[in-house]
Amino acid sequence: MKFIIEKAVLLKTLGHVQNIVEKRNTVPVLSNVRIEADSNGISFKATDMDTEITEVIDAKILENGAITAPAHMMYDIVRKLADGAEVELTYPDEKDLLKIASGRSEFSLPTIGVEDFPAISADTLPTNFEMKRDELKDVIDRTQFAASTEETRYYLNGLYIHPKDEGETKVLRIVATDGHRLACVESPLPQGAENMQGVILPRKTVAEIRKLLDDSAAETVKIALSDSKVRFSLEDITLASKLIDGTYPDYERVIPTDNNKILEVGVKSLATAVDRVSVVAERTRAIKVIANKNHVILTTSSPDLGSSAIEEIEAVYDSESLEIGYNFRYLLDILSEIKGDTARFSFKDSSSPSVIHDTSDSSAIYVLMPMRV
Amino acid sequence: MTIRVLPSNLVNQIAAGEVIERPASALKELVENAIDAGAHKIEVSLTGGGKNMLSVTDDGIGMTADELSLAVERHATSKLPDGDLFQINFLGFRGEALPSIGSVAKLSISSRKKGSAEGYKITVEGGKKGAVEPTAISSGTRIEVRDLFYTTPARLKFLKADSSETAQCVDMLQRIALANPHIAFYLYADGRKKLALNDCNGAVPEARRQRVADVMGTEFKENSVPITAQNEFCDISGFVSLPTYHKANSLSEYLFVNNRPVRDKLILGAIKGAYQDMMMSGRYPVCAIFIHVNPRYVDVNVHPTKAEVRFYDNGSVRSLLVGAIRNALSFGSQHSANTGGLEHLLMRQITAETERMKVIPKIGDLLVHDSAREYPHFQRPISTAPAHHRSMPEVNLPQLEREFSVRVADEPSPQTLEQVGELGLAKAQFHNTYIISQTEDSIIIVDQHAAHERITMEHLKQSITKHERIPAQMLLIPEIVDLSALDKENILEYSKTLAELGLVVEEFGASAILVREIPALLGDTDIQKLIKDLAAEISEWGNAYALTDKIHHICATIACHGSVRAGRALNIEEMNRLLRDMEKTEHSGQCNHGRPTYVKVRLVDIEKLFERR
Repeated sequence: MKFIIEKAVLLKTLGHVQNIVEKRNTVPVLSNVRIEADSNGISFKATDMDTEITEVIDAKILENGAITAPAHMMYDIVRKLADGAEVELTYPDEKDLLKIASGRSEFSLPTIGVEDFPAISADTLPTNFEMKRDELKDVIDRTQFAASTEETRYYLNGLYIHPKDEGETKVLRIVATDGHRLACVESPLPQGAENMQGVILPRKTVAEIRKLLDDSAAETVKIALSDSKVRFSLEDITLASKLIDGTYPDYERVIPTDNNKILEVGVKSLATAVDRVSVVAERTRAIKVIANKNHVILTTSSPDLGSSAIEEIEAVYDSESLEIGYNFRYLLDILSEIKGDTARFSFKDSSSPSVIHDTSDSSAIYVLMPMRV
Repeated sequence: MTIRVLPSNLVNQIAAGEVIERPASALKELVENAIDAGAHKIEVSLTGGGKNMLSVTDDGIGMTADELSLAVERHATSKLPDGDLFQINFLGFRGEALPSIGSVAKLSISSRKKGSAEGYKITVEGGKKGAVEPTAISSGTRIEVRDLFYTTPARLKFLKADSSETAQCVDMLQRIALANPHIAFYLYADGRKKLALNDCNGAVPEARRQRVADVMGTEFKENSVPITAQNEFCDISGFVSLPTYHKANSLSEYLFVNNRPVRDKLILGAIKGAYQDMMMSGRYPVCAIFIHVNPRYVDVNVHPTKAEVRFYDNGSVRSLLVGAIRNALSFGSQHSANTGGLEHLLMRQITAETERMKVIPKIGDLLVHDSAREYPHFQRPISTAPAHHRSMPEVNLPQLEREFSVRVADEPSPQTLEQVGELGLAKAQFHNTYIISQTEDSIIIVDQHAAHERITMEHLKQSITKHERIPAQMLLIPEIVDLSALDKENILEYSKTLAELGLVVEEFGASAILVREIPALLGDTDIQKLIKDLAAEISEWGNAYALTDKIHHICATIACHGSVRAGRALNIEEMNRLLRDMEKTEHSGQCNHGRPTYVKVRLVDIEKLFERR
């Protein structure tokens, strides 16, 4: 195998694939990236046995062939090469190693044969649909933060995706929760997803695909699903992953429908005020929101330091006064995903979940459980 | 097969299986008899770890010939005079010890009643009672047990080596001796004196202090604080070690209920709780605790060897004990252990590195001769040192210059001097990590990070208790935790306490609970594990410290990050301030991980080091 490639192109590709590779591995070949040159171009493949990424790029191929070599080391080498340089990869060189040559630099890397490289089998995935790149980016951003990181409830460690009949219209729902707050976003149901089963995408996969979406210029993303695997394809990059094998809780039960005390408040003014008063409550993370007629009072305090803060902002509220505590981090997380000018809070009482959404956009709702302070 | 009543010999052997486990347990029964007989001096002698021969001689009231014959009968005792099992004022009461021992060994008892002219002797061999014969003996009783377990070879097989059985006997006698300071105890093993405890004079507290020092050593005496507490039916006294003085197991926790040595879970649990977050995990305090309860309020008849007791009111005994220990530790909380610190280190250095020690005083000379005020930095005297010092091959000067960054105090302001407490006046900081302070009779070395960490932690803990309840995050999706029925009941019993800590649980079916709220500090946590840990702890120890533990652990982490680090240079005001804060803070003798925050080097020890004493 022998090819010549531009540094920037190689670096970008290696950057994508080396993300998947774990820093330390008990199986040596998992530290390696699989490189293959054939008539389709050069394909780079890496896996951690749960996720697999493949990227195909063009290069000047002098000789076909395939080999695996340490991913992180290759990435570090290429990163440090001069910008604009051309890189030549040769295998086997005279010492039976992978040679990376650029200008006057030359590196030889150990290799492991491709036959040892595991493949996440290329099953046929029965459900196939497409989503706009920006649409997918958007639904991930608006839900990802609410997913749990606590590993014992593994079934909450990801995004739950399923189709939903909303009367006339059918939608695709993306849900995330950690048991304290919940994010639920709807997107038009793509063609081909009508009969899909609900699946849980692991957090790591979601984070990976999110990075790739930023880096890609592709208009659409092809998504293929079975009940245990998912595959995202963006032009030359393919990311395949196992799904979380678990039952997602019946989340709809915790979304309240009878909250009748409505508060409308400017997103920006609320978010900046919360951010300000939260300085004194860094430790407890508790903020008290007091809704009064047409204004909201935010208070925080830290009794040990004797510090406290209070701020009043204008709002539209016409029900009886209500005092409710939140974790301000959770509140800020949600507010930062509301892109419109005004947020609508609906409450029942200070110990029941509150519902928050954008007044100008009903596609996303957030449920936040109060804190007892 | 028909049902029949077992012959008395078998009954005794069965009872012996429960009461007499090993020579040490036979010893315990016999010594307790001697104490109940009002002895002032008890002599124990054993050969072959007590397996071959074990004898107990006392100077108590003794027995008449008739009593002697009765004593070896089952359920015969003089210790329940009123026939009331709830008014037990003696150590024994079951009337089982002598016949049990008699059924598994060759037992001979000689006794002379006080004031009587004749002594008598009776023997029991493998359960067969001999006749009472006259014998020569001074006032008191002598009991000899030979060939223990010769009728039960299986039990004999399970005994350990002679030396280990001897050690167990010594330990047992020490335990008993702790509770009875007015009695002299002697123990001879294979003719060699193993234990000699003279009787201690004076009132109980004085005598007890003396006996504790005799049995547990001066090291314990120096590193312990007395505890005392009373309520209407219970009286606790004793000595507990400082949190920096500890052992790898709980065997050095000597516990007594009404002068009876016990190993009771409730008490062990209370001690564990009292030392919570002051003791390194996996380490145990050393203590001697004496609990006196009106016999009406305690049931000692729950365990054949009386190692466990039941209190009428568990909760109040526990809280009284925890309160007493905590009080004592806060009182002595600025103290950190003396031993194991620099003193030992120096000793080790003297013996192991005599060669290097010859050099080190010379470096010291530099510091002494060139006054500290003239040279605020240690580096300077070294670089201006005479040539022969530079040529010393053992000292790497550049290395030393780099490592010995010493900040030395200027003349302290009168204001600083006014506030000086028992941790003395800060003199210097070296390696940017340790503060040296001087008191009237010692030098104190403070680990600045460990000390500040504890101060921050205590502040945090106070701030948490300032909230009426700990802020709780309600759960959108309540967590269901499956438990055994017993665990479930245990958790629910403590639900009120847990709610104050921010953990709200509800009953959910026969064997599960529903978690509604968790302490907000814990964040996204493993609730299942938390509840199961709590359940395990409640059933084992009868308290729910796991949650406080977890919360304190988080406080400790916050405290650790919020404290001055090792390597941060402090000026002299900052150092003095730290020392004053330590004096005011509870438990400041050890950091949150149980390590000492300072060591004290007494002037006397330094003088010894230089052979001035």
